[in-house]
Amino acid sequence: MWTDEGEGKVLYVQTHGVSDPGRSATPFFLAASAAAMEVEVGIYFTMYGPTLLQKDVVDKIGPKGDQGLPLSHFIKQATDLGVRLYVCQPSLELNDLAIEDLIDGVEMIGGAAFNDMAMRADAVVSF
Amino acid sequence: MPITETPAQVLDCKGLACPMPVIKTAQAIKTLEPGQVLELLATDPGVEPDMKAWSSRTGNELLAIDRDGDVFHVFLRRNG
Repeated sequence: MWTDEGEGKVLYVQTHGVSDPGRSATPFFLAASAAAMEVEVGIYFTMYGPTLLQKDVVDKIGPKGDQGLPLSHFIKQATDLGVRLYVCQPSLELNDLAIEDLIDGVEMIGGAAFNDMAMRADAVVSF
Repeated sequence: MPITETPAQVLDCKGLACPMPVIKTAQAIKTLEPGQVLELLATDPGVEPDMKAWSSRTGNELLAIDRDGDVFHVFLRRNG
């Protein structure tokens, strides 16, 4: 949830998962850029999005497949700058996942919290 | 306008793509004292609009962007 400590708030929404690696990393790039602008940033993973955050997946996929850096590199780059990661329970169930299957630091929110974050954000960007 | 001050730090981001120059600049400028100048070297073709947006958002002053071949020299003064 927002702390209101930044110069603004941007919420990204990632709906794509492991079946489309080319769409996996860009939300992290943009979120890291926003965090570098002293903006408070969250990424909400829904639909297939939570599959990108699996512990045993983040080192095995990347935006360019076998070339280049793994997704874990881009996730760490963003979270080191303060970007926060959110999932909701129904989208974990959709993908037969539990929060324990995901990398550390992912926060669980629900639909009301998501909508509150969206309404209080300066921008919501959906992928 | 030529920059006559010697930068307190030169940050070499040549060859790095978006968003790395922005991220490294944000990290580097925090290590400077207010008023000191950072010189960023970058080849990312988007660096000029990025640095204009970044500086206006963060309040750090964009002093100049000079281009030397493929290399942009971006001079930024830390706010505060």
